[in-house]
Amino acid sequence: MDRREILEELKRVLEPYTENKELLRNINEQTDLVKDLKINSSNLVDVIIDAEAKYNIEIDFDSSEKMISVGSCIDVISDKINK
Amino acid sequence: MSISSGNDLVYLPATRPERTNLPRFYSRILTAAEVEGFVQLASSRLPFDHYVWLCWSVKESVYKYQKRLFPELVFAPLKFEVRLVEPPCGDRDFYAGIVVGPSLMGPINARGQAHYSRTWVRDGVIVTIVSEDQQFTDTHWGFSAIDSAAHADQSAAVRQLALEELSSVLSRDDLRLEKDAAGCPIVLAGDRPLVLPISFAHHERYVAYSFLNRVV
Repeated sequence: MDRREILEELKRVLEPYTENKELLRNINEQTDLVKDLKINSSNLVDVIIDAEAKYNIEIDFDSSEKMISVGSCIDVISDKINK
Repeated sequence: MSISSGNDLVYLPATRPERTNLPRFYSRILTAAEVEGFVQLASSRLPFDHYVWLCWSVKESVYKYQKRLFPELVFAPLKFEVRLVEPPCGDRDFYAGIVVGPSLMGPINARGQAHYSRTWVRDGVIVTIVSEDQQFTDTHWGFSAIDSAAHADQSAAVRQLALEELSSVLSRDDLRLEKDAAGCPIVLAGDRPLVLPISFAHHERYVAYSFLNRVV
């Protein structure tokens, strides 16, 4: 999967936790999950668990700490997919 | 003792107990010592998933407290550890905790300063405040139910709630709330920022604030 494909799948992962669906449709790699998408911090672990299931990967604790923005999420997911 | 404030709120009906109880979920929040620590709370009859979110709210509160002091800080729940969580007893109606974060705090750790937490669990709502002062002197806090779970409404409601208390405590009617460059809320009197750290939290139809009103 290239970064664009990962991004499109990531939108589906984030959808249940995002109030503003219009904002979600227009996210880019700079979009911050909490500050911009207003995802409640209590759902951040849900995002990681759902991403693991969606991409059939395991995201270790150190990597999950980096998943703050859409771009950093794609970095982590891409890294795990290509291992 | 540093000057900051941190709080958090979790609305339990919005969480998923079946998922929270999965090791692959709670192991991203609780350290092994914290999982063992749950046994000490047996007398409180707190369900395990509520305990997970209690610890989460404590860690999130400490993160907010420290984020104001160290803007580059990233939230990493496993790098905080909640110890000695004591259930409500006698005339104390909150869970008391001590929080340490050896691998996260850097200069904080070098100073050896722990954080203390107080957590209320009421009607499905977990509300936590933290301080470096075990007595929570000069810490003001509150929470409220609101009519809407929309983010804009939560944001407006928590600011209104906090401003009411701030105006009462400071006896001023020119107070405003803004955010600093790191995204931390700040209190202004007119255009003058006050040394009065404040923290906000919201989840679904509940909002909460805490602030430290200490003369420095």
